[in-house]
Amino acid sequence: MGSIDTSTRVESGPDPIPTPNVTANGLSAGEDSVHPPAVDSTGASAENESLRKRKCSGVLPLEVGTRVMCRWRDGKYHPVKVIERRKLPCGGVNDYEYYVHYTEFNRRLDEWVKLEQLDLNSVETVVDEKVEDKVTSLKMTRHQKRKIDETHVEGHEELDAASLREHEEFTKVKNIATIELGRYEIETWYFSPFPPEYNDCSKLFFCEFCLNFMKRKEQLQRHMRKCDLKHPPGDEIYRSGTLSMFEVDGKKNKVYGQNLCYLAKLFLDHKTLYYDVDLFLFYVLCECDDRGCHMVGYFSKEKHSEESYNLACILTLPPYQRKGYGKFLIAFSYELSKKEGKVGTPERPLSDLGMLSYRGYWTRVLLDILKKHKGNISIKELSDMTAIKAEDILSTLQGLELIQYRKGQHVICADPKVLDRHLKAAGRGGLEVDVSKLIWTPYKEQN
Amino acid sequence: MSRLSFRPRPLDIHKKLPILKSIKDFEDDDSQTNTRNLILRLAAEATENEVPQTSSKKLAPEIPTPEYVVVDTYERDYSRTFAQPTSYIHARGARAEIGEFVEYDLDNEDEDWLQEFNKERKVLAAEKLETILYKLEVLDHKARERAGVIANTLGSPVPVLLSFDAAVEALQSLSIKYGVFQSIYNYWKDKRERWQKPALRRLQPPPPVNDTNPYNVFRPREKAHRLHTRRMQRRENNAQSFEKLRQVRRNLDQAKIILEALIKREEKKREVIESEISLQRLQMKHKNETELFEDTLALPEFPSFPSKVGSSEDEFVDSDDPSISRPHGRHITQNIPFRDTKVVTASPRIMRRDFKRRHVPHGWLHKLDPNEPPLLFTKPLDPAKLSAAGIIPPGSPTPNGLPARTFSFRGRMGRGGRIVFDRWNPLSHTPIECGDTLYVPPKARHSAHQ
Repeated sequence: MGSIDTSTRVESGPDPIPTPNVTANGLSAGEDSVHPPAVDSTGASAENESLRKRKCSGVLPLEVGTRVMCRWRDGKYHPVKVIERRKLPCGGVNDYEYYVHYTEFNRRLDEWVKLEQLDLNSVETVVDEKVEDKVTSLKMTRHQKRKIDETHVEGHEELDAASLREHEEFTKVKNIATIELGRYEIETWYFSPFPPEYNDCSKLFFCEFCLNFMKRKEQLQRHMRKCDLKHPPGDEIYRSGTLSMFEVDGKKNKVYGQNLCYLAKLFLDHKTLYYDVDLFLFYVLCECDDRGCHMVGYFSKEKHSEESYNLACILTLPPYQRKGYGKFLIAFSYELSKKEGKVGTPERPLSDLGMLSYRGYWTRVLLDILKKHKGNISIKELSDMTAIKAEDILSTLQGLELIQYRKGQHVICADPKVLDRHLKAAGRGGLEVDVSKLIWTPYKEQN
Repeated sequence: MSRLSFRPRPLDIHKKLPILKSIKDFEDDDSQTNTRNLILRLAAEATENEVPQTSSKKLAPEIPTPEYVVVDTYERDYSRTFAQPTSYIHARGARAEIGEFVEYDLDNEDEDWLQEFNKERKVLAAEKLETILYKLEVLDHKARERAGVIANTLGSPVPVLLSFDAAVEALQSLSIKYGVFQSIYNYWKDKRERWQKPALRRLQPPPPVNDTNPYNVFRPREKAHRLHTRRMQRRENNAQSFEKLRQVRRNLDQAKIILEALIKREEKKREVIESEISLQRLQMKHKNETELFEDTLALPEFPSFPSKVGSSEDEFVDSDDPSISRPHGRHITQNIPFRDTKVVTASPRIMRRDFKRRHVPHGWLHKLDPNEPPLLFTKPLDPAKLSAAGIIPPGSPTPNGLPARTFSFRGRMGRGGRIVFDRWNPLSHTPIECGDTLYVPPKARHSAHQ
């Protein structure tokens, strides 16, 4: 969230390990003990490593809140903040591992690291912990506010900085680091509130079909021998090629719905598992082969939404991301709304990736209409044609500066060249929803 | 371009917006503001050039995400036994309803216990243990159901109700050695006492609605959240809504009783007022009659006839006149509705009786009219002052001395000090109110003709 530009900046640095990117402020060495605790303080340079280490051993174990450079998976050093620490099961007094947040990246990249990944030269001496804490918390607030303003133009308003911080405090450490799901072992992105029995493990094994989760591989293998499901436990409502969509009623398949939520929360920051699943329908998208129907993503939808939400949560599992499935899911949710004869909008807040997908979808759909349409058109008409809520249409068109105020009235600017440029930027939809293959009737309460 | 010096009107989503197919369209229409236009256009181009850049930057796979790897045992773990049917797959019942599926999966402590247990005698397979534990869970749940102690919410501990003997009896068909089963039962019971909740997740109660601990999940949603519209509320058919409706009924019944009492009270109030009015009228009449009596004594030259005779005589005299013989009939028919409306008003009967019994020939000279409505602003006329001011009332005896007109008018002082002469209806002997009727008394016409 919101760290896109910083990430590109840092990654552009070609410096090899262990020299971190030298910043513009040109602070030469780690001598600067009164170095300000700034986010982009990377003013440490490679010096006499061993000497430094000995010097720094005085700061071990590192305190929570310490800022330090850490070697990431790209082999480069990035600034991190220590979020949490824990003793290694078999180690000395100072043998800890640290849960760090890469300040340039989204929280989803937070992870447990070993001491050897940290560059102790770059440890910022904590002059006064309390002052430091205050400064960082203030910084966080401002930072978060900016995050809200920049990347979540809408949707995060209901999350003020305080509640955002509370949320991050509660979920600051991922409980599960990796999961095995079918063919893939996936690093998780966020905390998920699994039942307390699962607090003692960092890897979970999910059954690919019924989504039951277990702590050991043998348990999963035993489960796979008896599991009779080869597809989500609902009705298939769409099939095109190897792609199938299943509708699962959270009331009829409570455990499945809950499993799906636990799983999805591992990849969604602002998902809530607060309420039970029986008021939701889950639309599970699968790739089918001779082993069964493998979930690639899903979206959930309230059976009765008072706020005209047509989608509550949407997720494409990481191994299937960037293949157009997310766009397909969004398009599908609007096709359902069209069948219902309703206008819909996704529940907020949207994640950074979610917002991108939605903006892209809205842009493509609206601009395709504007390109072809002859004569005047109202926002309401666009809304009726697409099932996209009028507010979303307005924000999309205004975001692209296509609505302009001319001579006392609003006009839509639809210069083909401009539209094509925006369409190109939005990317193509990839997988199209073939409405003729959707066999579905809107949900009705069965009493 | 977005920085206009004025604030644009808010956009009406129902209004049809023109679609401009070319930026040139902008230029054509307002050429007089060329420089501003140019600036705007440059600004537009600048921002539009910017937009694809930023969005392409966003779209590019720059957002780093955690990674994934392929599991090497996948092909072995998952068998290639799925054949997609040609028709769309339809859901079967839930697992719990189908019955034979063992929902329970051994967890770490189960496996560890089993390993410990099997060290001595390799007698118990993991699958078997799984089945037994599953059945124990289900049996215990059923026992609690029968006992009616199913916890509605998590938080209070869920005790084991299934006794060992009952379990043995129920699971006879599994043909397990007694000793083995006893060990399993003891292990299971011990585990349950540690957990304080069912081991099978499906049977665990949800957290309470008012619990805000975010670690507790999947709480039932409050009813109020779901039922927002009245239609949905009406559909709710349970004991709670029944009780609610009964309460509503009770409230409505009470409201009805109160309203009925209120009506009764108001009716009583009205009766009191009416009797007070008639009492006052009687008092006024009484006072007046004594005064009148004194008056007639004081002025013996004015003969006092009974009113009915006088008026009827008068009528007959008038009707002899050919000019009013026709309007006479009309006058009667029109008078009936007028009377009818009078009946409706408060105590009209009393008033009419007064009129009838009244001595008519008092004329306008009469000082105190007993039938003068008790209006605050009207005063009786003082004939002395009138003649002093040279005001001759209409209908006063003319020089030729026709006495008939004396009955036609009644003078009084209106509010604001105007002197008002009310026309007098010769039949009913009530004042003719202006605007009440279109009827023009024949006598007035008659006198006008003269």
